[in-house]
Amino acid sequence: MSTAAEVSQNNNVGPVMRQGELAQAVVEAAEIDNPDKIIKVEDKVAYLRIQTSDEMILKRQTIEEMLGRPFSMSEIEIELASFAGRIDTQVEYIRFYHAKHL
Amino acid sequence: MANLGRLDWYDIARNTNWQPTYVQEDELFPPQMSGSMGIPLPEWESYDEPYKQTYPEYVKIQREKDAGAYSVKAALERSNMFENADPGWLSVLKAHFGAIARAEYSASTAEARMARFGKAPGMRNMATMGMLDEIRHGQIQLYFPHEYCPKDRQFDWAHKAYDTNEWAILASRHMFDDMMTTRGAVDTALMLTFAFETGFTNMQFLGLAADAAEAGDWTFSNLISSVQTDESRHAQIGAPLVAILIKNGKKAEAQKMVDIGIWRAWKLFSVLTGPMMDYYTPLEHRKQSFKEFMEEWIVTQFERSLIDLGLDKPWFWDQFLEELNYQHHGMHLGVWYWRSTVWWNPAAGVSPEERTWLEEKYPGWNATWGTNWDVITDNLLAGKRELSYPETLPVVCNMCQLPINATPGPTWKVRDFPLDYKGRTYHFCSEGCQWCFEQEPERYKDHLSLIDRFLAGMVQPMNLAGGLQYMALAPGEIGDDAHNYAWVEKIRAARQKAAA
Ligand SMILES: [Fe+2]
Ligand SMILES: [Fe+2]
Repeated sequence: MSTAAEVSQNNNVGPVMRQGELAQAVVEAAEIDNPDKIIKVEDKVAYLRIQTSDEMILKRQTIEEMLGRPFSMSEIEIELASFAGRIDTQVEYIRFYHAKHL
Repeated sequence: MANLGRLDWYDIARNTNWQPTYVQEDELFPPQMSGSMGIPLPEWESYDEPYKQTYPEYVKIQREKDAGAYSVKAALERSNMFENADPGWLSVLKAHFGAIARAEYSASTAEARMARFGKAPGMRNMATMGMLDEIRHGQIQLYFPHEYCPKDRQFDWAHKAYDTNEWAILASRHMFDDMMTTRGAVDTALMLTFAFETGFTNMQFLGLAADAAEAGDWTFSNLISSVQTDESRHAQIGAPLVAILIKNGKKAEAQKMVDIGIWRAWKLFSVLTGPMMDYYTPLEHRKQSFKEFMEEWIVTQFERSLIDLGLDKPWFWDQFLEELNYQHHGMHLGVWYWRSTVWWNPAAGVSPEERTWLEEKYPGWNATWGTNWDVITDNLLAGKRELSYPETLPVVCNMCQLPINATPGPTWKVRDFPLDYKGRTYHFCSEGCQWCFEQEPERYKDHLSLIDRFLAGMVQPMNLAGGLQYMALAPGEIGDDAHNYAWVEKIRAARQKAAA
């Protein structure tokens, strides 16, 4: 069992999405856009915690393809309730990362 | 003509700094209001916000968010959530709306201050939208409970609470005024957007949304998680600020404000969110324990980002982790005991099955907190309800304004941290609260806790009736056991069965 004192020693990054269609598309995009990484999804009913270690990229185009409708990157905010790590918002992608690996 | 991409023009468009010629820089940005610690203007211009948003995008996206929240509400209007909900869940809603809705307007004031007096153009841009976000949070969280007012008068406290001197509101107002309405732009950004919104609001708006979804209250779940999508954006005001402060040799100052923010938020959440999650939410709908939510959001996620930005763990971190095991149990016991002094009906949450759950989540609960509840339960079983009410006043902390308490048991662990300052003795619940006071005693020294007011004769008559009147709790609003003591009968039945 990990103690509370140890759990901040992690490198988890990624979005916490409100449950719904976009959240599902983001899970799929996370797999596709981060092919070398293990994507962990925790389902908390109201929200999905979608995580990997150190860095995660989500491309606008991938999410658009998964949704099957036009999607602009800034629309992710409608369902992006929180995130682990830092955020870098671009027009064609969004990135979650830690500057330091622990 | 090709359209420019947003990021090709964003920086130029939001760079609204100029060289003032009619007034001095300090007149345009009074240091007291900007709180800029003498860091020169070019440094502030290097502020690079990570969560970029333009106003046209903002309007489009916020419109969609509201359309979503209001349409879920409309669709579920006839679902009879109110009639079907467990009374404990309704208490969660009442406590939430009363303690939060009007504080959102204070948050809007805080954002307005950053939007006007922040020296970094990027901070001003983000805070302009943050200010509008917080107006949304105030309005929507007053509108949603409004429909319940005709059914239950306690819901009126969604709007009324902050106009009163009710004790939980005294505590909330003391903290929110400290971080939202009485500091310059930089300190506000560190305490509110960084410590509070990157960290703690996730507990109340997402952790609780998970419980709400489990409880089948989709309207509330959807509402509060939608609020958090705004928070998640404007909370990022703090991160680039921390970078500038560290670069300009102000790490200690930044760390101090963040530490005060975390400690103060922790204390308030221990009385508000803790009981909601571990006692009021019906057992079958508890997604996780309060401690598990705190570990998910504050320890695993928030603390990690603090370290990534170059800050350190707060000096009180070990004590904070220790308190995760017990502080909210004591707060809950106190709130239930003094239940006539709150605007919601606290659920005791100590039926046999719930006690088993508490023991599993907090090993040792039965041998400690459980023994206090045993006495209450035995009195209620014996028909002596009058013994389940307090006869004395609690000792209240002069920082967090909450009763001083610790884990009960064979050793007396309650400790007062007294401090003499300019002829007055102050009492604190912890080293953390005393430390907050000592950082700026002049700021806090004149505040009177509810107990100080009692002792000063400001509450008349000096009894419960006078206290309730002082706290503006009218008949029909005064709290009582959420389940009208039905859980006591369950225990009676269980004991009779065991005896047979
Ligand atoms: Fe808010
Ligand atoms: Fe906020």
